[in-house]
Amino acid sequence: MALSKEIYKAFEDVVGAENICDDPAIMPAYHSAELEAVILPKDTAEVQAIVKLCNKYKLPFRPVCTGWTGMFPKGTIYLDLRRMNRIIEINEKNMYAVVEPYVISAQLQAELMKRGLNFCIKGAGTNCSALLRGHGHMDQTTSGDDRNHLAIEWVTPEGDIVRSGSLGSSDEWFCGDGPGPSLRAILTSAVPPGVTPGVFTKAAVKLYHWPGPPSFPVVGKSPKYTLSEIPPNLMARYYSFPSVEKMWQAEIALGEAEICYELMGFNAAMVACNITTCNEEEEVVFEKMSKEVQGPGFFVIIAGNSAEDFSYKKKVLEYIVRKAGGKSLKTVEDPEVEGILLCQCIRISASIRETFRAGGAFNSIPIMGQRDLTIKWAIGAGKAKEPLIKEGYIVDDGGAFFGWGVEQGHLGKTEIFCKFDPQNAVAKKAVEDWQKSQTARAFKERYFASTMGPQDEIGPALSNYHLWWRKLVKELDPNGVTPEGGALV
Amino acid sequence: MALEDYRGDMDMCCRCSACKFVPMQKVKGFQYANVCPSISRYNFHAYSGGGRLNIAASMLKNGFNYTDKLLDIVYNCQMCGACGVSCNYAMDMEVLEPISEFRLKCVQDGKTNPALNKVIAGLRKTGSMVPGAKGKRGAWAAGLKLKDAAKEKVDVLFHVGCLTSYNKDYWKLAKATVKILQKAGVNFGIAGDAETCCGGRAYQMGYKEDFLNQAKKNMAMIKKAGVKTLVTGCADGYQAFKVLYDRYNLKGNLEVLHISEYIAQLIAKGKLKLNKKVNLNVTYHDPCRLGRLGEPWIHWKGKKIPGDRFVFDPPKTYRRGTQGVYEPPRDVIKSIPGIKLTEMTRIKEYSWCCGAGGGVNESNPGFATWTAKERIEEAASTGAEAIVTACPWCEKTLNEAVRESGSSLKVYDIVELVEKAI
Repeated sequence: MALSKEIYKAFEDVVGAENICDDPAIMPAYHSAELEAVILPKDTAEVQAIVKLCNKYKLPFRPVCTGWTGMFPKGTIYLDLRRMNRIIEINEKNMYAVVEPYVISAQLQAELMKRGLNFCIKGAGTNCSALLRGHGHMDQTTSGDDRNHLAIEWVTPEGDIVRSGSLGSSDEWFCGDGPGPSLRAILTSAVPPGVTPGVFTKAAVKLYHWPGPPSFPVVGKSPKYTLSEIPPNLMARYYSFPSVEKMWQAEIALGEAEICYELMGFNAAMVACNITTCNEEEEVVFEKMSKEVQGPGFFVIIAGNSAEDFSYKKKVLEYIVRKAGGKSLKTVEDPEVEGILLCQCIRISASIRETFRAGGAFNSIPIMGQRDLTIKWAIGAGKAKEPLIKEGYIVDDGGAFFGWGVEQGHLGKTEIFCKFDPQNAVAKKAVEDWQKSQTARAFKERYFASTMGPQDEIGPALSNYHLWWRKLVKELDPNGVTPEGGALV
Repeated sequence: MALEDYRGDMDMCCRCSACKFVPMQKVKGFQYANVCPSISRYNFHAYSGGGRLNIAASMLKNGFNYTDKLLDIVYNCQMCGACGVSCNYAMDMEVLEPISEFRLKCVQDGKTNPALNKVIAGLRKTGSMVPGAKGKRGAWAAGLKLKDAAKEKVDVLFHVGCLTSYNKDYWKLAKATVKILQKAGVNFGIAGDAETCCGGRAYQMGYKEDFLNQAKKNMAMIKKAGVKTLVTGCADGYQAFKVLYDRYNLKGNLEVLHISEYIAQLIAKGKLKLNKKVNLNVTYHDPCRLGRLGEPWIHWKGKKIPGDRFVFDPPKTYRRGTQGVYEPPRDVIKSIPGIKLTEMTRIKEYSWCCGAGGGVNESNPGFATWTAKERIEEAASTGAEAIVTACPWCEKTLNEAVRESGSSLKVYDIVELVEKAI
């Protein structure tokens, strides 16, 4: 399967001997895929040259950032974008940042906070790429996914460089849709396959106002970082409600009032993950919190622009929650716990705790759409988790789901996952079956889950988009060098 | 424990890349977000903590296929443990231990690094990890009339360490330590020519048997001399005596203190007064083996509880790098009149390595200096005039980086500053 000497040399001439490797020793670190080679380009020109060579030799390629997931067909050229890690620009006036693919969100966010700005960080965590796509904890304020995409520099599957939006007609990054080619539907596909063929080499992301401090006053030692004090005009609370309906009523009202910086529909299990430092402690805290909550709930961060603004927001929050019969979780009112959550849920630094710590793996079904409807679907998916919990295949989180408001609740996302031990084949199969059956139910009940597929099944229900998509891909990628699947995290 | 015993831990790696960066809450900007020198220098994921686990796990499953590239990956790691600290912010799994076991296995299988073989040959011949060590180990103490701890009863054994003993440039550290202990009226002695290498650096390089031989020799001498407390100024020595000897049940009841801890105690007890002004703006570099790898060993034996979670019976307490020696050196520095201490971005458990560990100093000096240069740059960014450390290996590597980069930064060991202040 090795590349011929001639081809290897051609790639090596582009990136230098130190930045290409086809030794089998490194492959287990790259998802144990049977790759032809791993190549580390340093800039757009090198990416373009590599892509052109891939076309010349008909070699499939896939670009990856930090890359915790991915499927790689045999013989793929793996573009590890690690060396493309520059923040090109932070434009405070026009509120956008231009980044290369391997800038992680933690780096960009730290720079932004110093400037009173923030951006949408993927729920996967700040250890992942800051470039494009994804929903996350702060969607209530920062929106999510393609809503934050501005101009993009894109190396097409054939190796052409396309600059979208305002970048297509000038050197400006401020807009993704013009003056210049928009290409939004191609570049930011949210439906399967969900990945744009080619390589994004730079992109501008939208920035938002950050009313909090330039940095959090983090003290303590890993794995328990706390805040020395709660920064002024910031507050974190967790509220539980007597019913889903009451919770939704509060969510809607809070969105209308536009007072929440973050509204994250954590369940008690996820709060427990966040505030504990190990698996054993997590189990104990979850049990305690399960007794403390009265029903479903959400986590809220209020961030005031001034003491008056903060006071107003707090009053409105308390009024809305009280009206819906909500109850504040005492555990989170403890300033130490509040500080941990404030920092972790703004800096999105504990996603791994929420997902991987328990057993090493999780399978998830994210559903986009109006929260009250998607929650109804999620309740069913939660019930379907119960037999798996009973068998001991997955972590007992009470069958709970989670989710959050997007753009003050105008949109929403609901998600449910099973955490399990991937080495347990029976458990893995049970979880995969659960994911498949609940995704199918979502499709049948006309919800949109990003786990849906294959395209031939769902396409007919979605204006036959898959036929159009394939035609587009064929035009963009006549040599078929960009296989479907994978993820850019 | 052998590599096989960490199979579950290695399988827990979710490839999230947290091992490459300082814990996310501690990322303070674009700069100085990296924590692992190896992945920072070589870029392929295989050089990261997670990548190393992925490779080791795969080899356990599919057989050990040693290639030159694999050995390049294995030996281009300072074994500094930063990957584990960052991972363990969120995950319950061992990271450095399986990486270390993988290296031990390489050596066991004869897949060694020629430069390290040379060092170990020297150790076997001279009892020192300093290549080409010549002369007597105790030569630095000539004329000082210090007590011979092997023959006379002392309260404290000052273990000097290989580099300080055999590299004349670092005799100043031993002599400074002597002055400090004498000033505080401590009844101490040295083992002189009877002192031998602690074995810690041999262990980092993967030579477990040589480490054990050294450990046994040292403990036999210590037991015979009736020594109850050992003080050393070398972070490698500190970790060897305190952590590794304990891990292999060789430490007994020996109290092991780093000189910075001991000085902090002497100051607190009023036995040592730092009166003289030292007008200097400094920053402090945490040596890996005094900091995150210097925390006590936790003896544990248990089994994974079958089921969904990676939990054990009895519950496992992970060493997450938090119980290392962080405050005593800072307390000492702050006690020196006139000194202003400004912290770097990466400190304590997520400190950036100086580059000298894991045999990299010997097998790939260019990489060691590359690593140290990054630290020098970070130190200079604080506005400090000097970087203070607490290990001769760190001081040596940082000095080399200063020379190569043309920096005006001064490099001190903590005992040098204390000596100026007494």
